[in-house]
Amino acid sequence: MDRGMILFVGVLLTFTSSWLGLVLFPFWQLQNQPTFQAEPEDEPYPRPLQGAAWTGMKVYQKNGCMYCHSQQVRSERFGNWWEDPTGIMRTGGDIRRGWGYRRNVSRDYIHDNPTMLGTMRTGPDLANIGNRYSAAWQHIHTYNPRAINSWSIMPSFAFLYRKERIVGARSEKALPLGREWTVRPGYRWRPSPQEWQTILQRYGDQIKERFLLEVGPPTFDWNQPDGQNLLLDYWLTTPEEGWQILPTDEAEALVAYLLSLRKAEYPLPEAKE
Amino acid sequence: MAVSVLTRDQLRWQAAQERVTIDRSCRGPVLAFCATALFWLLVGSLLALVASIKLHSPYFLTGSPTWTFGRVRMAHLQAVALGWSSLAAMAACLWLMCRLARVELVYPRMLYLACALWNIATTLAVIGILLGDGTSVEWLDAPTYSHPFFVAGVGLVTAWVVATFRRRREQHVYVTQWYILAAVFWFPWLYTVATLMIFWAPATGVIQPIVNWWFNHNFLGLWVTPIGVGIAYYIIPKILGRPIHSYYLSITGFWTLALFYSWAGMHHLIGGPIPAWLATASTVGSMMMFIPVIAVAINHHMTMIGHFHRLKYSPALRFTVFGAIAYTAVSFQGSIESLKDFSEVAHFTHYTVGHAHLGVYGFLAMILFGLYYYMIPRLTGREWYSSQLIRLHFWCSAIGITLYFTALSIGGWWQGRMLNNPNVPFANIVMYVQPYLALRTVAGTIMTIGHIAFTTLFVINIAGWGRHRSSGPTLFSQPPLPVSSPWPSTTNIIGTPSTHL
Amino acid sequence: MESADIAVLLTVVGSIICFGGATVLALGWAFRNGQFDNFQRGALSIFDADEPVGEPTDFFPDYRGHTPDPDPPHHWTRET
Repeated sequence: MDRGMILFVGVLLTFTSSWLGLVLFPFWQLQNQPTFQAEPEDEPYPRPLQGAAWTGMKVYQKNGCMYCHSQQVRSERFGNWWEDPTGIMRTGGDIRRGWGYRRNVSRDYIHDNPTMLGTMRTGPDLANIGNRYSAAWQHIHTYNPRAINSWSIMPSFAFLYRKERIVGARSEKALPLGREWTVRPGYRWRPSPQEWQTILQRYGDQIKERFLLEVGPPTFDWNQPDGQNLLLDYWLTTPEEGWQILPTDEAEALVAYLLSLRKAEYPLPEAKE
Repeated sequence: MAVSVLTRDQLRWQAAQERVTIDRSCRGPVLAFCATALFWLLVGSLLALVASIKLHSPYFLTGSPTWTFGRVRMAHLQAVALGWSSLAAMAACLWLMCRLARVELVYPRMLYLACALWNIATTLAVIGILLGDGTSVEWLDAPTYSHPFFVAGVGLVTAWVVATFRRRREQHVYVTQWYILAAVFWFPWLYTVATLMIFWAPATGVIQPIVNWWFNHNFLGLWVTPIGVGIAYYIIPKILGRPIHSYYLSITGFWTLALFYSWAGMHHLIGGPIPAWLATASTVGSMMMFIPVIAVAINHHMTMIGHFHRLKYSPALRFTVFGAIAYTAVSFQGSIESLKDFSEVAHFTHYTVGHAHLGVYGFLAMILFGLYYYMIPRLTGREWYSSQLIRLHFWCSAIGITLYFTALSIGGWWQGRMLNNPNVPFANIVMYVQPYLALRTVAGTIMTIGHIAFTTLFVINIAGWGRHRSSGPTLFSQPPLPVSSPWPSTTNIIGTPSTHL
Repeated sequence: MESADIAVLLTVVGSIICFGGATVLALGWAFRNGQFDNFQRGALSIFDADEPVGEPTDFFPDYRGHTPDPDPPHHWTRET
């Protein structure tokens, strides 16, 4: 071991073995994997990302979405035993959860660059998310996830949206959110008791009128503090007058990307289980 | 040379003189690496706290793109892995190679350049990520414009380590030197191949995560682990004054680590869309890792046995032994985690995060702290200012990482069990994990307090406010010489320790 | 089996033969060259006259006492 050359050669050879095995072999095996066509007239699967979806993938990449969301559905033989309602022990949690119709295989990713498989499921797997939620849902959820799931710890991406004054009519693309989500974009707003009193003094009648119109006669006394709280809860769900939340191009792109994620849908011959 | 004529004191003086000269020759660059590493430790700790808080209080700093969780998490990893860990590891390589080769460092200015290049790279990485250029490739999150600076920085360090080795006066090549030489050879190759195949000439589809995890796991196993283990192989015997228990075991440990560790990387992709033989090969490699880990554990333990009381007296030993024990624990855990039944549960969960931090903090950072506590006074000629602050640092780090690991292991394990059971709504899983994530923030805060104490001690030492070292035989002050000494006055040779670098 | 599979199999088997053979050769060389004689001597190389075996070299800065329990003399000696 006193000879530097021996050390060098040994260190080189041991490392080369893993480089060959873990890098070069898979490279030779998978680099030129072709797309799949069941019939010659079918579109080859998978398709590369187009237009806005590609830009959206970049948004996904630079904001580190991969660090909470994986994009790989595991096979039906994977996952530890759990008891289904009939008392049978089963595996395959991912697919049963509805995260995909089948497991993911290497062919699903041949057009991905970067290939964001992900290693954390702080949030759900997204390989097949395009199948599960609409664009409208995605916009609200991206803007502030807690507007849909109160338990969510996902960050608000309100900076991908802009709040602007309504000129003329409210835009069709405006997010249908109550003022508690739009007054401070990204946060959930609730006025302090003093602020609410001030608001009631100024606009109380209008609010009550609207309540009567939309909901009907109140089942509580809105002149008492408890009732005023319930009235506040209602008022917070009404849209903010004169303002709307619109997606920026980045938000549209991101949602287009999410809708394009249907990696565990198209049946492939190698994805048997 | 008439060695037999010299008295024992004169021999001691001569040996001390040689060591001081070597230490002084590499002082500047090594301290530059150490200081900048510590800066990134602080930056990384703050980024870690921000990220950790966001996971149980999602409205924390949620307004701006710069501080969104994904970016902060990427920046945190770059700051602690490429910033703190790598810079401190490079400092270790330089100092240990000089010491073990018993030769001075030459042309230290190029190493200042290396330090500057690596720091520029890390700054580009962290700021670039926060401003939106992150790559979402784990451990290679840094934007591509930082790559040339990383390569140039480590290339210079590798060249200097090898050049120092080739000029060695000490004929024997000690264990630590094998590890260091191997690490500085492996890392540039790893980095170049990985960045080429993922960024510059991107491979198709799942080859990218395959290469990515080959790189990531080898960043741990072939870059920072060899250096950490190498440090422990030097520090523990040096502090105790006892040689390593079994040199045969150390050679076994080295070669089996070289062979098996590099195969283990695919255990990060078990169950994923990769060829089955890859996952199996990596599980085999991961299980074979028991051999080098047990070899190292036996060596360190048998060297320490009968001397554990010295942990009361030596701060560097405390940190290093903690790290060595953590190394054994995290490696055993890692080997078990690579088995399919275990991986099914732990994969994708916070359990893995706990494991990762036991490795990079419980093992690596603690051993690097131990190195600092031993090395810095010998480079600057000044003692540490306050024992209380050292003790604060140790207990904050030890308690912090233990709490961190325990909280995330328990929370993560049940998270995994519930993830696999489709009858459990996802909402329940998220709510279940919350208190454990809050505990993690508590643990991280404790650790950060320790880092602040450590930085305070470091700054005081560098700035020249500590006592001169005078205790013990290691010489930075005038030794008593026999009256009839043939040696000239010591003031011209050793001089007084200077305060400028 | 497809030709790709055969190529992979050949390469794997060939690698095992090459790397395994290299290992055997290297170990053989090492034994013949005397790399393993008096191996434990290497462990002593980090000590010198000023920091010899048996003397601890690190303490807390406020440590005031004498060196605790110096080791009894070892049978290991450094050949000069």
